[in-house]
Amino acid sequence: MASRTVAKDIITLRGSAAIVSEFFGYAANSILYNRGVYPEESFAKVKKYGLPMLLTQDEGVKSFISNLTAQLSGHFSHSGNELIVLEKEWLEAGKLQRVVLVIMSKATNEVLERWNFSIETDSEVVEKGVSREKSDKEIMREIQAIMRQIASSITYLPCLDEPCVFDVLAYTDKDVAVPFTWIESDPKLIANPQMVKLHSFDTKIHKVDTLVSYKNDEWEEQ
Amino acid sequence: MVSTRSLMDLDRAHTLLTNKTTDFKSSKCNEVYQQKLIESQSLNSEWKRIMVFKGSTKSIRFVDELRQEMAAISDNKSKQAPYRSIPKAEMIVLDAPGLMDDYYVNIMSWGKNNVLAVGLGPTLYLWNSVDQSIHKLFHVREEDIWPTSITWSEEARTLAVGYTCSNLQLWDAESSKLVSSLSLFLYRIRALRRLLQSIHHVSVYLQIRSLQGHSGRIASTAWNGHILTSGSRDNSIINHDIRARNHLASCIKKHSDEVCGLKWSNEGDRLASGGSEKQLYIWEASKMSSSKFLHRFTDHCAAVKALAWCPYQHNVLASGGGWNDRCIRIWNTQKGICIHSIETKAQISGLEWNRYQKEILSSHGYSTGEDQNKLCLWKYPSMTKVGEFGNHEPRIINLCQSPDGVTVVLAVADETLWFWDVFGPPYDWNFNGFGSSRSFLFEEFSDKIVIASEQQFTTC
Repeated sequence: MASRTVAKDIITLRGSAAIVSEFFGYAANSILYNRGVYPEESFAKVKKYGLPMLLTQDEGVKSFISNLTAQLSGHFSHSGNELIVLEKEWLEAGKLQRVVLVIMSKATNEVLERWNFSIETDSEVVEKGVSREKSDKEIMREIQAIMRQIASSITYLPCLDEPCVFDVLAYTDKDVAVPFTWIESDPKLIANPQMVKLHSFDTKIHKVDTLVSYKNDEWEEQ
Repeated sequence: MVSTRSLMDLDRAHTLLTNKTTDFKSSKCNEVYQQKLIESQSLNSEWKRIMVFKGSTKSIRFVDELRQEMAAISDNKSKQAPYRSIPKAEMIVLDAPGLMDDYYVNIMSWGKNNVLAVGLGPTLYLWNSVDQSIHKLFHVREEDIWPTSITWSEEARTLAVGYTCSNLQLWDAESSKLVSSLSLFLYRIRALRRLLQSIHHVSVYLQIRSLQGHSGRIASTAWNGHILTSGSRDNSIINHDIRARNHLASCIKKHSDEVCGLKWSNEGDRLASGGSEKQLYIWEASKMSSSKFLHRFTDHCAAVKALAWCPYQHNVLASGGGWNDRCIRIWNTQKGICIHSIETKAQISGLEWNRYQKEILSSHGYSTGEDQNKLCLWKYPSMTKVGEFGNHEPRIINLCQSPDGVTVVLAVADETLWFWDVFGPPYDWNFNGFGSSRSFLFEEFSDKIVIASEQQFTTC
């Protein structure tokens, strides 16, 4: 009888951090596209996670997101003429708790939507340097589910019909030094938000939960 | 930064309460997380730091705004951009009787000494922009001989004058070169000069040299230190070393028609030469004696007279074509490629770069429609039109820039010289000129040095 167990791959801390930061990059692009923060024409299709994913072609946004994901995974990164040297804290040190993509009205700066990605890190892996096992395909399937949910979120999220801008917040442990491309911030919360929890994915080292909260016009019974 | 820990916890708590799907697995890391949650309940424990990403030196927001600004500017082609006002009126208009309506010659040069040398037919005048005094340098008596190319040397100590008869003269301001056999006579002249200088603050010019070499009229000249380059109707370019007794340094015969445009780069390493046969050549200073050109550009379909090297980008040259071409082309002379080509609607008689802002000004002559006889201002490097001004009747023949880089002067075919304060640092842009124009007249007095002022005429 053929083995029914799915072949498992070895996941290291670094590998897991790379998966998470890459996921964030694609998720951010997807949100910006689906929520209309940047015009449709400025995006190009690529294949990722077994889906057609949209990536921005705008140089400014591109470099912003790539600098950001490099920061999250804690690796060296080139950004045009700048070499950003990053400390291996954040994902690899298990000190990153959350990444939040905030969408605000350009005119009033009011927070309209919050895409919250909570991260739980297996501290044993961080402390002892062990690795875990999980099938890459399985992780990809989980991420695929989240991406599909982001795309279909437009069915229930209120229409953003005014020009919007976005910001990315990082919640880290208190002992993390603020790098020079970041500044301390308030959490940019929405008052009385409506929330929808999306699927999560787990690399066995990092578990990422996705939640979107949005501004609610009318009071709704939970 | 005031701690907003309580708010954060509320957020988290709310999340827990309003979850539509419950999928909290009790895993090890979750326990740790919950542990931290419990820890956070106690007073004075701050376990979170929130930061917002600003990206690299240019944050997304700034780049977005900049892009919108650029888009707004390119939308208003003929309308003035709010921060850049085109002068509404010229500063000064000078009467220039005798000015020849010839597209190919270069009869104006504004030296570092603030003196504008301009050839009005057979007479050469010097106009001092500081005190507005006018001085006639000479008048050629022979028929059909008149200056066709006038250029001040870099430090404005020498004035090069090329003629229709292929003669090239060097005039020296305050020359102290003496011819030994006439020392007594010259002593009197020196005394006279000192007298003149003390009373009337006038510079006396002496012709120091006459350079031969060409067999056709000299349409263009350009200085590079002690090298004076001349371009002629005999299709050749000659480099004269004015220090040497035998001044002919090199002679290049590559053009097949009159060399009407000649400009050395600001660093003095490249020479651009434009001909009536529509060719534009780029030469390297070190290789000129071998007649080997660096680049030959044949894109223009008319005479290339207007040439100007970019003051802020090494090796970038702007060239303007004549009536059949009407294009401004920007070249990278390092790579030998055309970076930009803008179709204007009229022949281009002059190009000047704004040293204070990234702009280039073009002066125009004959046209099929728009831009006729106008001045057009273009933004660099987008080459979008910022504005146009100057409704002249006949065409603009020559364009020249002041040494301080604020004013431009145009020679218009109706025998006038117009001064526009179009360049300059941003805080100067709201200055629209004097409004009223004052006219001066170049009077012709043979054999006499004339000092003309607003109030009176004095001869000496």
